[in-house]
Amino acid sequence: MQVACRYLCLAVASVMFVSSAGAADTPAKSQAKSEAKPAAKAEAKPAAKAETKPAAAAATSKPAATTSAAKPTPVAAAKPTGTAKPVSFKADIAPLLVKNCLACHGASDAKGDYQLHTFTAFSKPGSSGLAPVTAGKPGDSEVLRLLTSEDSEERMPKDGDPLTKDQIALVTRWINEGAKYDAADAKADLVSIVPRKPHPNPPEAYRAAVPVTALAFSPDGKELAIGGYYEITIWNTADGKLLRRIKDVEQRTFGLAYSADGKLLAAAGGTPGVSGEAALYDPAKGTVVRRLGTMADVALGCSFSPDGKQIAFCSADRSIRTYDVASGKESLLIEDHADWVMTIAWSADGAKLVSGARDKTSKVFDAKTGDSLTTYPGHSETVLSAVFAPDGKTVLSGGADKKIHVWNPADGKQSATIAGFGGEVYRVQIVDNEIWSCSADKTAKRHKLADRALIQSLTGHADYVFSLAVHPGTKRLATGGFDGEVKLWDTATNKPILSFRAAPGLTIAAAK
Amino acid sequence: MQGIMNNLVRATVLLAIVASLSTVARAESSAATKAMSMKSADAAGMGMDSMSMRATETKSIAPIVVGKPTRIEVKPEMILFATPMQYMNIVVSGFYADGRVQDLTRVATLATADARVARIQEGIVLPVGDGKTSVTVSVGDFKASIPVETVGHGKPEQVSFLNSVQAALTKQGCNQGACHGSPSGKGGFRLSLRAYDPVLDIETLVREAYTRRIDLMDPAGSLLLLKPLMEVAHGGGRRIKKDDYSYGMLRDWIAQGAKVDADGAATCVKIEVYPKNREYLRPAHVQQLLVLGHYSDGSVRDITKLADYLSSDEAVATVDPDGFVVSRERGETTVLVRYLDKMETTALTFLENVPGFQWSNPPESNFIDKFVFEKLKRLQIAPSEVCNDEEFVRRVYLDVIGRLPTIAETEAFLTNKASEKRSLLIEQLLASDEFPSFWALKWADLLRVRKTKISEPGVHKFHHWIEQAVRENMPYDEFARRLVTASGSTLSNPAANFYRTSADVNDCTETASQLFLGVRIQCAKCHNHPFERWTQDNYYGIAAFFQRVQRKKTTDADDLVVWTARTGETTQPRTGKTMKPWAPLKGELDLPGEDDRRDAFAAWLTDPNNPFFAKVEVNRIWGHLTGRGIIEPVDDFRESNPAAHPALLEALAKDFVAHGYDRKHVMRTILNSRTYQLSSRRNEFNKDDVKYFSHSKTRMLSAEQLLDAICQVTGVPEKYAGLPAGTRAVELPSPDVDNYFLKVFGQPARETACACERAGESNLSQALQMINGPLVHGKIKDEKNRARVLAASGKSHSDVIKELYLAAFCRVPSAPELKAALDHIAKSGDAQRGLEDVCWAILNTNEFLFQH
Repeated sequence: MQVACRYLCLAVASVMFVSSAGAADTPAKSQAKSEAKPAAKAEAKPAAKAETKPAAAAATSKPAATTSAAKPTPVAAAKPTGTAKPVSFKADIAPLLVKNCLACHGASDAKGDYQLHTFTAFSKPGSSGLAPVTAGKPGDSEVLRLLTSEDSEERMPKDGDPLTKDQIALVTRWINEGAKYDAADAKADLVSIVPRKPHPNPPEAYRAAVPVTALAFSPDGKELAIGGYYEITIWNTADGKLLRRIKDVEQRTFGLAYSADGKLLAAAGGTPGVSGEAALYDPAKGTVVRRLGTMADVALGCSFSPDGKQIAFCSADRSIRTYDVASGKESLLIEDHADWVMTIAWSADGAKLVSGARDKTSKVFDAKTGDSLTTYPGHSETVLSAVFAPDGKTVLSGGADKKIHVWNPADGKQSATIAGFGGEVYRVQIVDNEIWSCSADKTAKRHKLADRALIQSLTGHADYVFSLAVHPGTKRLATGGFDGEVKLWDTATNKPILSFRAAPGLTIAAAK
Repeated sequence: MQGIMNNLVRATVLLAIVASLSTVARAESSAATKAMSMKSADAAGMGMDSMSMRATETKSIAPIVVGKPTRIEVKPEMILFATPMQYMNIVVSGFYADGRVQDLTRVATLATADARVARIQEGIVLPVGDGKTSVTVSVGDFKASIPVETVGHGKPEQVSFLNSVQAALTKQGCNQGACHGSPSGKGGFRLSLRAYDPVLDIETLVREAYTRRIDLMDPAGSLLLLKPLMEVAHGGGRRIKKDDYSYGMLRDWIAQGAKVDADGAATCVKIEVYPKNREYLRPAHVQQLLVLGHYSDGSVRDITKLADYLSSDEAVATVDPDGFVVSRERGETTVLVRYLDKMETTALTFLENVPGFQWSNPPESNFIDKFVFEKLKRLQIAPSEVCNDEEFVRRVYLDVIGRLPTIAETEAFLTNKASEKRSLLIEQLLASDEFPSFWALKWADLLRVRKTKISEPGVHKFHHWIEQAVRENMPYDEFARRLVTASGSTLSNPAANFYRTSADVNDCTETASQLFLGVRIQCAKCHNHPFERWTQDNYYGIAAFFQRVQRKKTTDADDLVVWTARTGETTQPRTGKTMKPWAPLKGELDLPGEDDRRDAFAAWLTDPNNPFFAKVEVNRIWGHLTGRGIIEPVDDFRESNPAAHPALLEALAKDFVAHGYDRKHVMRTILNSRTYQLSSRRNEFNKDDVKYFSHSKTRMLSAEQLLDAICQVTGVPEKYAGLPAGTRAVELPSPDVDNYFLKVFGQPARETACACERAGESNLSQALQMINGPLVHGKIKDEKNRARVLAASGKSHSDVIKELYLAAFCRVPSAPELKAALDHIAKSGDAQRGLEDVCWAILNTNEFLFQH
């Protein structure tokens, strides 16, 4: 045994010896990085910018020269460092973190065991064990060291351009000024504390038809709200003419819902990969009533509770949120899905919510507590749409597996599936004991709720049908497609009666 | 670190051992192997230069001096612009009186005669309007003219999804296996691996998730571009820059509506790389490649910026994304050029006059040396000296029969004065009784001889069959034919176990390809091979030979009956097509309906003209004997993994076929070559060489060799459950004996037919096993330990140490070594413990652990 111990000590010594020698090797690798480029983030993208360039110019390997010219530097970075106004975490620092760091250190990922999706997380050391920020001591702030390291292997953001000198100065000053948190809740998502900027204006005239990803009838059926590009457009259902354009809207809208009295129009939208927003508009005046919340990625659906007092949103940030409509306060945050939540709907009694997600599950939640009640695992692909049947005893969910699944929300047991779709099933609605759906097979379909028999397949769209809305009072169905075409159908005859492109100013030539 | 190690080495034998062992612990591939010093005492004297890693710093690009070429050559010879988006790079080569050639592309100037037809921008010719003109290339006093014609310039042109967008995504690495090309994608975004499935990809790019990834209103604002630009944080990091050609293609494609190609749009039929194979002498050290795509509409387009490049040896030369090759040090590299599913290679050799280099004209023992030395001379790499007799005897015993020579055998060889004694020893070992068991081990690995696969009686029968085949030196073609065509009971015809270990048609396809063609074809099961020409069709074409093999259980659970059905066809799963049997370079075979197709496969396989079969086996033998295949890994033949010495491989294979696939003949030839017998000590001119066989490659003993060597040196044999006493590790029929030591040192579990399963890397567990493991500790403390027995018999410490050195290293200790060991024993107070320490120290030297 004695022998063994002697050997072991030697071994340990030799191992330590090797590791220290290894460490000494690394600095040699570091190379001064070439000059920092200003992080060109378009905060007000001119949406209708003429984009088509002579194709040959692209072949010269300098294709970007014209597009990336002279974009304004971010507000935060442009601020002169000498001003007396202290650096604001939420206004100056958080935007930098969100833009540059969140992908790898966000809520869903923790490279180096470090996260910064909230201020609390941001302040907690990662695997190095070193304090990310020490108030008043930039030299003892690991975050700053990594942002400015000369060693390209460790300099953050990894593989990205380094922060500009001005941005570094800002972070340094913020630490020097005491590294204070100036928002309310240190556990709030950084994206939610960043002061919002107005959304860019929609294009005067569309250069291309944008896919119609959201549609909603006003309660009286006279108007149709459609998600546009940085806007919501309101159309006259009688003649398909544009009535109003609601501005200061997120880039894309994926969900629209009118309140029962028609005074509010809720919109779920966002800029893919960048931000999401839950907002309420006055559809008559075309103004913003309230912005309910922001998310780290797009909001994909929204739904008013049956009593109209609550509204639920789901998002690609994996969350489901409900808000009190009157006060705008968030009443519930459900983070139960493992991937984008594509759809959200209430049960008729308002007691439950049903969701569908890219994690291939559909889930039922208690709408009061947010507790997960049932998980339906039957879809083999993303669940794109899910609704309760009026009796609350059945859920119908449509998905990328080209089927509608019928299942029991009490136990998650499947009772039937509806096949016959030639593509993903994007929307499912139940109106007057009929199942309405639309699909990538370019059709909208009506099935009987009772026996799931196909009543009619509505053909006429030339491309994927992304969105659908039914107005039983006026016997109208609206459908919207990938190609920007909106169709109004007479549900008495199943015949299309109107067709238009929801893209103001779009010329036929541009549409082609 | 080196200085400290030097001191350690000098300090005491013990510490030297620890220091060198620490190197074993961190050993990684060649760099660390290079760092292994041989004799602990010599190490100090040799200096530790060998510790330095391969030079990684880049030699900067020297200015190109035009000098006085005798002629220049331009490529392409003519340009036809048939669509407005075309462009053309022009590559210019200068040829000199002394036979040199140099790339002059970067110093040539271009001008067009008619600017209304074509213009020049940054060295690239672009179409302007319909008509004919010419481009004049000027370099030095030379001018060359290239005719240019532009037609159909007014026609609008769509960016091609297939030809440009898919190529751009591939070039930027978006759809590589580690990123969005993995079967489950990344971050919920999945592309087909290297764009093999465009239908799926356009759906994903454009429509999936409600068109999230593209922005038709603001193309440059598309997530598809913002992410790889890192303007929106991207888990995969920065993948593209705005001035990349790929970026422009992607953005313009979105701006044009992100559309699929029109029906009948041109597709690429072949690609062409210029220059194809070239040799350079410094100062010439750069080359701009030109890659031309030939399309189904007859057009020829410059796709240099869309192709992607891979240098087979980045230490020799690197290629940037624009196809610009820069040499870093002398040597050869093969550049693999890929564009969508097309690939081409070009072999580039960079020579350099090395100051002080002189060819020593070493004698050649046989044709191997002729080939090896010819290349070394050209590359100005000086071969090492021939190894000494002590090194040779140890090396050749380990390589041929897998064990150390006994002291008596060593002494017999060392005292033999015959000039032919090395050849005689080689003959003696090839004929020895231990030869078959050692070489059977190598094939038993590949044929997956394992209880779980073929039952315990099956293991013994199959192992015996393999051993017998080696013993009687069964011609290799016969060996392969028997395996491939075997039928019947696996117990009565053990060769039929080939179809027991390969339990289904895919396994048969992959195993046969791996073993006999050196092709790792598994990738092609699900998609076209990303680095090779092998397609999914090829995979199922080979599978068709094995489709009808059936397996039937018998009442004896240990047995299995292999037979072939008279019908049965293979279906390609992606296309649904029925595949005819297909053999590489032969194509589809029309075979009579009810024949056993395996006969046709075996006939093709063992045809003397089969370009794969003989090469794979000689390469495998070469790899076993020298530690590195001429193609390495030995069973990974592909264009992107070129042979270090194609001519040598060719010659060996030819010689093998000419001698009736006699494997012993190949071994004999290799063992008798001077190349094999070179020392592992390097000189100034070959210290960086790892692939041209200018010196012997040091490598750790295999698990079985090492365990046997430990037993032999300590004199304490290992016992294996269920096997007769005295069985050596190299004789084990299968890894079913559960020996932890063997596993730690890389004994394969025989799960696959890949040579890679035998792990070559060292690891910390190994170091701990050697330092403090129960097996080593037990053998050292055992009362039958050689040192103890010798000491007990009254031998002096000095004699005991000498015997230990002879047993372990095949040499006597040097004076300082002997003194250090004796001093240690004296200091330790307890002579037995002191001797044990010395014994332990010897087992822990690189000189013991390594073949050298």
